[in-house]
Parts: sequence; C-alpha cells; structure tokens
Amino acid sequence: MKRIMKWIALVVVVLAAAAFVAFLYLAPPLMSTDPQEFVNLEAAMAPAVDGIADPAVRALAGRGRYVLLTTDCTGCHVTPGPQGPLPDMYLAGGRPFTTNAHGVVVSRNLTPDKETGLGARTDDDVKRVLRSGVYPDGRPIPHNAMPWAQFSNWSDEDLHAVVVYLRHITPIRHEIPPRAPGVADALVPGALEIAAGVNAGKR
Amino acid sequence: MLPPVPSGLRWMAFCAAGLLLAAVAGGLAQSGAVAPPTDVTQLYDTSCASCHGTDGRGHGPASDALTPRPRDFTSGTFKFRSTASGSLPSDDDLYRAIAHGMPGTSMLGWKGILTEDQIRALADYVKRFSPRFAAERPASLAATPAVPSSPASIEKGRAAYETLGCGACHGDGGAGVDAVAIGLKDDWGHDAFAPSLDEPWSFRGGRTAADVYMRLKSGINGTPMPSFADSARDDDLWHVANYVVSLARKPVWDMTAEELKAHYARQAEKDAASPVQRGRSLVATMACGHCHTPVDREGRGLPGLNFAGGMTMRLQVWGDVVTANLTSDNETGLGRYGDEDIKRAITRGIKHDGSRMLPFPMGWPAYAHLTPQDQDAIVAYLRTLPPVKNQIPPPARPGVFTYLTTKFQMLVGGKDFPIVIFAGNAGSAGNPGAAAAAAQR
Repeated sequence: MKRIMKWIALVVVVLAAAAFVAFLYLAPPLMSTDPQEFVNLEAAMAPAVDGIADPAVRALAGRGRYVLLTTDCTGCHVTPGPQGPLPDMYLAGGRPFTTNAHGVVVSRNLTPDKETGLGARTDDDVKRVLRSGVYPDGRPIPHNAMPWAQFSNWSDEDLHAVVVYLRHITPIRHEIPPRAPGVADALVPGALEIAAGVNAGKR
Repeated sequence: MLPPVPSGLRWMAFCAAGLLLAAVAGGLAQSGAVAPPTDVTQLYDTSCASCHGTDGRGHGPASDALTPRPRDFTSGTFKFRSTASGSLPSDDDLYRAIAHGMPGTSMLGWKGILTEDQIRALADYVKRFSPRFAAERPASLAATPAVPSSPASIEKGRAAYETLGCGACHGDGGAGVDAVAIGLKDDWGHDAFAPSLDEPWSFRGGRTAADVYMRLKSGINGTPMPSFADSARDDDLWHVANYVVSLARKPVWDMTAEELKAHYARQAEKDAASPVQRGRSLVATMACGHCHTPVDREGRGLPGLNFAGGMTMRLQVWGDVVTANLTSDNETGLGRYGDEDIKRAITRGIKHDGSRMLPFPMGWPAYAHLTPQDQDAIVAYLRTLPPVKNQIPPPARPGVFTYLTTKFQMLVGGKDFPIVIFAGNAGSAGNPGAAAAAAQR
C-alpha cells in the first residue's frame, strides 16, 4: 500500500512537472491577446482634447494628438512599470537605453510639469529639439536615441500642433536623470543598443 | 480598464518603435553636461557633424533622414547667397545661415546658443572644406533699391511671374499645388522641392521681399531655381518679390476654429489627390526607415539598403527577429504582397501568412490609428521604393532550454528582459561597404 502511494506520488510529481514545462513551452505570450486590445490601450493613454475650452486650440491639439499617436511616441516616452508601461504616466519618460556610443540615454518627461517636464521650456525650445536635436544650451541629442532627423520632416504647422497637444496632456512630476557615461562593456557583442524596461526616473 | 496582458510582458507592448528608434546609436561623441567647446574643430564636430559630417561632405550619420539634405561644403556650392549666380557666398551669407538657420529644416539658428565669435569661427571653418574659397572671391551683385509693395506693384509682379514661367515649378498663382510632384533633382541627385509660395514661414532664405528678391536675383545654386539677374528687369524682380510676399496664407497658429476645420479638410483633399507624396511624408516622419534600414556600428545606414530591412532585434523568449524588406522587390520585398496584406501588417500586426507580430518593436497598435486614407498613402509610397533584393531570414527561436528558463523567469519571476538591437544586415544582401569601411580603419 505504502509502495503504491509512493508510486502515485512520484507519477503525480512527474506529471505536474511535465505539465508545467509543457505550459511554459506552449503558453503563447501576448499572442493570445486580441490585437484590438493593444490598439485600444494605445488610444486610451493619449488624453482626448474635448476638454480644451478654446475651439481653435482644441482643433490644433486634435491634429497634434493624431500626429503624436500615429508616430508611436509612447514606445519610448511612457514610463515603464514592473508590470508593463504605466498608462497613467503618459509621456512621463524614464526608460533607459544603454548604447555603446552615448552611454545610458533616458527618455525625457514630456508632460507640462514645470520642474521635471516641459513646463518651463518655450515652444521654440521644444520645436528645436524635435527638429534639430539641440537643447537650449547647445547640447546635441544623439540622432538615433531620439529620431529628431525623422521628425524634422514634419511641416512647421504639424510641428506646432504637436507642441500644442503636449501643452495639454496631464502634468506629471517625474524627474529624469541626465545621460550617464558609456558602458560599452555591458553590451552584448555586436549590439548597438539595449533597451530596458526599468524606470530610471523619480516621482 | 486595461486588457488582460500577461504579467511582466505588458510594458514591452509599448516599447514598440521606440526601442528601434533609439536603436541605432551613432554620431556625436559628446557627453551631456559640457558647455559648447571653444576649439573650432571640436565645436564643429560636436554641433555640426551629425548632419554635415566631420569631413564636411553633408553625409553625417543623421543626414539620410533629412529633407532637404545637409549642405555638402566640399563643393563650394551654397544655395542662399547675396552673390552672383554660381559664385561663392559672402562671409555674411555664411554667418546668416549659421546664426539664423534655415526655416523649415533641421538647420537651426545658433544665435543665442553660441557666441558671435563661435558663429564667425564656424563660418570661417566651413570654408576650409572647399578649395574654391582659396582660389576665388565671391562675385558681388548690384542690388537695386527696394520697390515698395503696392497693389500696382503686386499686379505687375503677377504678370511677370507668368512671363518668367515661375508657375512651371511653383504652380499657377504660386500655390505650389503640384510643385512637389514634378520630380525635380538638385545637382547632388537628391529630390528638390519647389516650395509652396503661400507658406513663407518655411522659406529657407527668409520671407521678406528683400529675401525673395535676392533669391530671384542670385538664384539658388545647385538647384533648378535659376538666377533671373540677366533675363528680367530688376524692377520686375522686385514686383515678383512683392507678389510672392502677398501670396502668404494664414498659418494654422493664427487660424480660428472654423478656418482650421476648413484647412484640415482641404489638406485631406490635397493628400488624397497625391497619395505618394503624403505617404512619403508619413513614412519619413514615422521613422519607418529607422528600423527597416540596416546600419553600421556608427548608426549609419548601409549603402544601397534603404528600406531593405535586415536589422536584427533580440526579443527574449521570442528570439532574434529581423526587420522586413519594405522595398518593392517581387521576391524578397513587399512586391509579393497585396495592399490589404501590407495594411493588415501595419495596423494589426498580422503577417501575410496569418502569423502574429508582437506589439513591439513594430508599433502597429499606434499605426492602427492612421486614417484609412493615410494607410493607403503609405502603401502607395512603399510601392514606389526601388526594389532591393534582400532575403530576410525567419525569426530565429532560441534553444528549448534557453526558451524555457527565460520564460520561467518572465512569467514566474516577473523579470523584464531588455531588447537588444544589433548592427549589420542579416538579410541575403550582406553588408555592403563593410569591407571598405574595415580597410579604411
């Protein structure tokens, strides 16, 4: 009797282990989620412009929202959390990118917060970064960490609309550290860049 | 509120294009916190070389994405001058370009960022790249006094605009409606765009009547825009300048809500009439080429492989994924697929064979919000990309052991693995230029 129990226990353990491995192997990560859910989440993160009182500003911001949404700015600028991007930290930045040429580049806080976001920057300052990759003090931004060269192809009018929309998203206090020196040795051989899902910013 | 995405993986859905965008590290060797350097070579390399290149050839690592292309200083050909057609620019012309920038382009005005001395030093420095500056002097132009604008002058200008054939490129009435579609090239073989004359805020050389007069008088070297110094009377040039200035429409930042509504409706009509142009603009600004063009270790696109795919991205668990060939090649590119296949991939992340893409690094959840018209425009433009044969390998899955242990760490341990992006082309076309680059080192 005891022996049979032992055997049964063993079989159960082996079966459970096999089932777990099979689950690990077969579980299709993300692939079982309906594409529409990802699409909906993308739009839900970007605040609607309905609440803007001035109808002209609302129209401009609406255009800016379309441009920003379809350019996938969220890919880098939504704050990463332990369980994925934090939808309530829309464009608050903090995702670190380890590059062999530029050190650790961290996506910036684009919300209108005065101290940690774009609140204290003029429209021209923001446009200069988007079009030329240059900060107000002359520091250049690596063109591949931030694709300003591509965004320079926005017309002046679309560029303006993007900035108008950025002025109307929710301000979030989230401090982003400056670029840190290079860590080329940390890279996988042949790699250009490693993008991590850990937040480097401070609330 | 949020869709049920398996834990630990959701963030990755939104890394999407961002990762790729950030992917290609290159260019500027500069640490963050330092003030602009005083040494002029270092200043040039820091502030100018990412577009103009350290050798001044206009081939900096960021240059491929720019329209118009950055100036090639080695030719001594400069567009915006106050000097005779074909001549070198004056020192003041160079100063003006650097200090005030080129509206509508990546060239910013450095005044207020750099000191006057630094700007003068850079203006002098760029002359070193062309031997012409040592051998020639700029030929000055005799500019006549301005003719003040008046209804009569504008009317004369309108007549002269027709006589001189300006509309051939800039469109009837200066609206430039079809100007961009006529396939102009500059001396370097790049597409040249005749601007819409009703959008003076993007006039590279400035928007005043005096600026426009000078463009007519001196021409724009290296482009199809000729000088009219010898072919038209000087007062007619002033009239045309006054006429062009009078064409300015209201920019969106001055419009009322009703005007904006009408403007964007008109814009959509224009875009529908020229889908390839609209698609070209979308593909450029959405940075498709950022991941779909393989790069070298400097982050520079490999020659001849524009939009030909081949960049490898390591996504833990899912393996090494290689970006697709977007050119019109019938065997290895999009030439194989129908319009609906392409749109489904862009907006739903479903490939031609029905298999799914992850919601990253390809940002289809974002691109799904493109209007149907814009989606069609993108497809129309991609169809025009010259075919490049570059067979892309299927995703390389990791070994079973790595797969299981990595997945265990993600699903059970909640670990977020980084995405790793690699230089080089994983497609069949190999790495053109790599041997030459190695030899150069």
